[in-house]
Amino acid sequence: MNRSPTSLVDTVGAGAAAPAACADRGVAGSIFNIQRYSIHDGPGIRTTVFFKKCRLRCLWCQNPESQQEQPELFFNAEKCIGCGRCEKVCPEGAITLRDGRSWTDRARCTGAGACVEVCPQGARSLMGRVASVDDIFQEVSEDAIFYQESGGGVTLSGGDPLAQPEFALAILKRCKEAGYHTTLDTCGFASWHAVETIMPYVDLVLYDFKHMDPDKHKQYTGFSNEPILRNAKGIHHELKVPMRARYAVIPGYNDGVENATALADFIANELDRSIPVDLLPFHKYGGAKYQRLERVDELADTSPPSEAALTALRDIFLSRGLTAKVGG
Amino acid sequence: MNEMSAIDRLNDNEPAAPLQATPRLQRLLAKVNPKSYPICIEKARLVIESYRAHAGLPQITRKALAIAHFLDNRTIFIEDDELIVGNIASKPCGLEVGPHGPTWPEEDFTSLLQSGYEISSEDEAELRALDSYWLGKGRTFYERMGRVYDDERIWPFIQSGIMLPPWAKKDEGRGHGITDFGWGLTLGYSLIVVDFEKVLRHGTKAIIAAAEEELRNLRFLQPGGLEKAEFLQAVIIAHQALIRIANRFAKLALDMAGREQDPARRAELEEIATICAHVPEHPARTFREALQSFWFTWLMIASGTAAGGRFDQFMYPYYKADLEAGRINPAQAAELLAMLRLKVMHSNGVAGGKTQRDKWSGMAKWHNWIIGGVTRDGKDATNDLSYLILDAAKLCPTPHHTITLRVHDGTPQDLMIKALEVVKLGIGLPAFVNDQSYIDYFTGEGASVEDARDYAIGGCLDGQLPGKSRTNAMGMFVVPLVFLMTMNNGFDSRTQKQLGPKTGAFEDFATFEDFFAAFKTQLRHFMELAAEEHNILLQAQADFFADPIHSSLMEGAIEVGRDALARAMPFENGAILNPVGMINVADSMAAVKKLVFEEKKVSKSALRQALAANWGGFEDMQKLFYDAPKYGNGDAFVDGIANTLYTFWSDTARTFTSIYGGAMKVAGISITSYGPAGSLTGATPDGRFAGENLADGSMSAEQGRDLKGPTALIRSAMTIDQRGFQATLFNMKFHPTAMTSKDDLGKVAALIRTYFRHGGKHVQFNVVNRDMLLDAQKNPERHRNLIVRVAGYSAYFVQLNAKIQADIIGRTEQHFAGA
Ligand code: SF4
Ligand code: SF4
Repeated sequence: MNRSPTSLVDTVGAGAAAPAACADRGVAGSIFNIQRYSIHDGPGIRTTVFFKKCRLRCLWCQNPESQQEQPELFFNAEKCIGCGRCEKVCPEGAITLRDGRSWTDRARCTGAGACVEVCPQGARSLMGRVASVDDIFQEVSEDAIFYQESGGGVTLSGGDPLAQPEFALAILKRCKEAGYHTTLDTCGFASWHAVETIMPYVDLVLYDFKHMDPDKHKQYTGFSNEPILRNAKGIHHELKVPMRARYAVIPGYNDGVENATALADFIANELDRSIPVDLLPFHKYGGAKYQRLERVDELADTSPPSEAALTALRDIFLSRGLTAKVGG
Repeated sequence: MNEMSAIDRLNDNEPAAPLQATPRLQRLLAKVNPKSYPICIEKARLVIESYRAHAGLPQITRKALAIAHFLDNRTIFIEDDELIVGNIASKPCGLEVGPHGPTWPEEDFTSLLQSGYEISSEDEAELRALDSYWLGKGRTFYERMGRVYDDERIWPFIQSGIMLPPWAKKDEGRGHGITDFGWGLTLGYSLIVVDFEKVLRHGTKAIIAAAEEELRNLRFLQPGGLEKAEFLQAVIIAHQALIRIANRFAKLALDMAGREQDPARRAELEEIATICAHVPEHPARTFREALQSFWFTWLMIASGTAAGGRFDQFMYPYYKADLEAGRINPAQAAELLAMLRLKVMHSNGVAGGKTQRDKWSGMAKWHNWIIGGVTRDGKDATNDLSYLILDAAKLCPTPHHTITLRVHDGTPQDLMIKALEVVKLGIGLPAFVNDQSYIDYFTGEGASVEDARDYAIGGCLDGQLPGKSRTNAMGMFVVPLVFLMTMNNGFDSRTQKQLGPKTGAFEDFATFEDFFAAFKTQLRHFMELAAEEHNILLQAQADFFADPIHSSLMEGAIEVGRDALARAMPFENGAILNPVGMINVADSMAAVKKLVFEEKKVSKSALRQALAANWGGFEDMQKLFYDAPKYGNGDAFVDGIANTLYTFWSDTARTFTSIYGGAMKVAGISITSYGPAGSLTGATPDGRFAGENLADGSMSAEQGRDLKGPTALIRSAMTIDQRGFQATLFNMKFHPTAMTSKDDLGKVAALIRTYFRHGGKHVQFNVVNRDMLLDAQKNPERHRNLIVRVAGYSAYFVQLNAKIQADIIGRTEQHFAGA
């Protein structure tokens, strides 16, 4: 962990090239939503900034619109009346009309959004926009009075904020200067250097554990969990940032007793029993998003876990002396 | 929903030993939501009989005699399981009709029967015969009002619908069909909180004694002596009648005890007999007696807006004494309080004709019990009863009586959480009000800070000082109609008349400021007419609705010796000017300013054409106006316009004087009139179609136009200076997912506290999910118990009219990531 790269984005996995700017006020990045009165992402009333871009590709991703850095087209076929206005304006010629609705060739779509402007039905929208740190800080500051009253603050989520580390760092710094509580929701797939640089500005980490078996992890997300587990230990032991463990329970993928036991053991033994665990049951809300991105939902046939299954899984954590609850 | 509650259970969010409704309570609960409601005519029969017998006497005397005749002869019964006794109508859950005016015309009556009421054919025939007492005899206060409505000024205004609802005929007012309930003869449309302690602490015998003493000392050497004597006699007659009916209940309970086989129930009946022989005549000695005394008193002042006052405050000494003496435990107290809820549930009133019923959708009743807040010396007033009243609502999740929690900086978080646990049940209560804002209102109008701290709520949300104030004229003034008339140079396109002054053609306004000034001129013109209407209404009510019971429970009643409607009150707020749809005007103004005057994207004449065509053929233009900045998103531009409008309203209202001498005051509550008001209002530049609902409440956004979540909506509302308003109304609708855990409730509490710390006055929540509501529309049978908060009151969703149902569904549902 003694590396000293100049950029915060580097060699974990196949890291993309870093944005050149250093962590400063002028930094901009890609986000897809700013959610106010976000109440399940840390203490108090919060504003959550959803970052675009994630290095992992979990099969069950419930925010698929967050994975890429570029804006992506959301298309709601139910609203489309086939008027053809979008077809006329698309500079890439990506749109055709068939069966009374429009079809977009995703390979040609650049996500520039000319079609969005002209659609009278609101059938087309863009997920993602570039925003400056100033813009974001201004937007999250509008709710500062609510943070004060509730002990809340700002949460960075995504995607994975650590996939745009300079941007994340700059926002976190501004928030800390203003005295807001900061929470970082991450899957931990980043260089130690990035982690180490950012964590001093983080009051609470929500840390997502996908799977404990390195091979399965690679199979389901595209990468091994090795750096993720190593970073978790570093954040807890070296950087001493308060943490909550998050375990998205995906039936058929990571809900086996073996995996849950391994996770419970890891948290209890390699991290600390004081770290609370949130079991987040898989839900079906992501399905519609795949449709709107016109992508295949790998988990279309998967159902949310049963109450009994969740109780059994929760009890595994309780039996290790951990605090665990269902729901964020 | 199921998933939610399962997760709730998993996390043990419910208290270890949740309160359980006893079997007795469950049986009583089952009785208050019958499939159909009986229409009762006993009260009309007895009251009219007495009126006929005493036709020549002064009104206050006739009222007292009618009350006495009614109480002495009415049907009384004690139901199985009851501990608090005193039936409201002659049949359980019955609707008493006709004691104040003629009942409905045929078509209206049929629609009432279709909406779940029933009556025997003999009763119906008798009722029709009773109507002849009223019809065409000049005996209703509407007729009195209509006679002075001149054809030049006031009558066209009344027909315009600016004041809801528009009258069709001068002698029919808002439509026939006045119903009534309870044991007294009401005080018109009062928003009033009487001083219950006068009865609880001293007994009605003290009131009678004081009146007798005053009569003995009265010398007819000054003006008003005769009226005073008549008033005092009326007080004595009415209170003596109240004592007699309490004694009838005592006797009935004793008779029933004699026949009762079950020894436990026999003992209960004997206790009821003892209590009813003692109260309300004498001071209450125990919590049970205080409750019974309260209930008898409440029955005497009952109306659709009869308040429960600061119930946790004046009842607490009795509870505390019982608790300390080991006579009661908290569970027993909660059960009694739940039984009181059920007694209130038996009150049944629909107002007026069909239009009026639309306006007060869903059997609107505002029986407001106040808890919490500060004491007269400024300390936190929370006590055990504040919590137990909420527990009772959990035990007995009915829409009535409603509860309002007064919140101040020192309100315990536990009380906030308990209140939100009740909100979470989805019965739409309690509402939350900001002590500071209400207290500022009263002190700003000259009340002492001690009196101001003692405020309670009359009706939906109107602040009243118990025993010291009353509001009797408070119309629903449809502001967007005036906006549209301003665009049409004072011409009303609905009634096709020049109603307002000619303030200039829209096309001729050079600047937005000129247009805005013209609007103010028009608004002032119509507000003045509304003020006149209010004064006529006040005078007509004063003459028709004199009431010895209400009046005797107000401060200084005996010494002054005048009916509460015939004198100024210590705090004078008799008339209130109350705008509906102000937010639509703010949004319309913002859009016109931006698109027409500043960016000049749309010409003035094109906008007028588009509005006249209800946007037909102007869809692109409508989208522009729809997408213009809207109140409710924390946008300083449009929020600022809203604040300017409300401030202008408030300043202007205060330039008018009521018949009692005080300046008129303001409130901002629309109840459900935003539906009928919308029906009258043509297309508006906020992108709204003609006929669509207006924005609800007064601080709420137009439905579906607040897109940035609850904090942005609240930030908009807090830019409006609400202190000068007697009430404002702010609805938020929450999906149950936002209120799952205790932690979530803590966050909602923080939301409320932030709003209040920054000037908010009131907030209330609907917690239901959309699917549930849609299903309820389709299958009302399955959802008879589904309760939603409409405005200042909660109602069974399936009893609301379709328009209001659609609105409830459409109101922005706050949606949350990560839920
Ligand atoms: S880490 Fe989360 S956001 Fe990224 S791909 Fe996986 S599930 Fe989606
Ligand atoms: S513009 Fe919109 S409605 Fe028209 S075809 Fe394209 S997507 Fe469909």
